[in-house]
Amino acid sequence: MLAQSFRRSLLETRGVLPPTFLLPFSARLSTVPSAAEQSSIPESLVNSKTNTSLPTKDSRTTSRITSPPIQSTLKSPNPAITQPPPFPTPLPETVKTLLPLLSSQPPYYLTAHIHGRPYLLTAGDTLRLPFRMSNVQPGDTLRLNRATHIGSRDYTLSAPAAIKGTRDGPKKTFYLDERLFICRATVLGTESEPMRVKEKTKRRMRHIRKVKSKHRFTVLRITELDVKSVGDVEGKE
Amino acid sequence: MPYFRITLLRSAIGLPAKSTGVLKALGLRKRMTTVYHPVSQDVAGQIMRVKELVDVTEVETALTKEEMKALRRPDPGFYIERRASEIRDLAEEAPRW
Repeated sequence: MLAQSFRRSLLETRGVLPPTFLLPFSARLSTVPSAAEQSSIPESLVNSKTNTSLPTKDSRTTSRITSPPIQSTLKSPNPAITQPPPFPTPLPETVKTLLPLLSSQPPYYLTAHIHGRPYLLTAGDTLRLPFRMSNVQPGDTLRLNRATHIGSRDYTLSAPAAIKGTRDGPKKTFYLDERLFICRATVLGTESEPMRVKEKTKRRMRHIRKVKSKHRFTVLRITELDVKSVGDVEGKE
Repeated sequence: MPYFRITLLRSAIGLPAKSTGVLKALGLRKRMTTVYHPVSQDVAGQIMRVKELVDVTEVETALTKEEMKALRRPDPGFYIERRASEIRDLAEEAPRW
C-alpha cells in the first residue's frame, strides 16, 4: 500500500503527466450504454478489485471512458432509471462493466436529492436540513433512495441531466437506479435558530408590531454509504 | 372528450376591461395559471378575444389543480426504514437473562 501511494505520488508530478484533459480525475461512467466505450477497456482493468493506482497508469483508457454520451442521454432518456417498474430491469452493460471500478475505491460521495434539493454527502457527514422533517423521531433510520451522482476519487457514476420544466410538463429529474447504492441516515434531532424579531410598522401609527419567528431544522447523520457490486444487484433480482 | 388547456402568459393590465372580463370568465386570475375547458364554440370564442395573452393546447384529459400540483412536486427522496420506537419495543420484548 505504501509502495503504491509512493509510486502514485511520483507519477503525479507535473512533468510526467499527460495534458490535463487526458487526466482521469473527472472520469465518468454513464448509466446509458454507449457502444464504443465498452470494447476499449482491457480485461485486466475490469477484473481488478483493489487496484487503486490504475487510473494514473492507464490514463488513456480512462479518459476514453470520460467522454460521456450526455447528448444521447438527453435525447433518449431511459425511463427505467427514474421509475423502477415492478419487475426488475437488467442493468445497462456499461454499468455492469464499469461499476467494479467505482466500487473498488471505497470512500464514496453521493448527491442525494431530498424533496428535489441536492445534498453532497459522504459517510459520517452531519446534515442539517433546511426544514423540519415531519413524522420522524430522533433515532429513526432513513433510507435515502434518490441520487444523481455516486463517485469516488477518480470515478463518477452520474444520471442523465434533468430536463427543465416547460409549459407542457414539469421538470423531470433522472435518478440513478436505487439498487446500485445504499445510503442510510439516522435522525439526530432538531436544531433551532435564534429567535428572530421583525418589526412591522404602519404609516401614521405609533404602534409597532413585532413578528417573531424561530425555525426548526432536522439534523441527520449519514451512517452508511456503500456502492453495491453487480453480483449483489443481479442476485436480488 | 378533448379539452383546451389555457395558460395565461401575459396579463391584461392596460387592456380594455372586456379582456379582463373574458379572462375572469375563463378562470384565469394571474399569469401562468392554467385552466382546462371542454372544446366548444363558446370557449373557442372566448379564447379568440384574448388570443394574444394565452397559450392554448388541445389535450385529451383535464387535470385538476391538485393533480397539476402533484406533477410538479419532487420525489421525497427518502423513506423511513426503521423507527426508533420499533427498536425500543423490540428491546422491551426481548427476554432478560
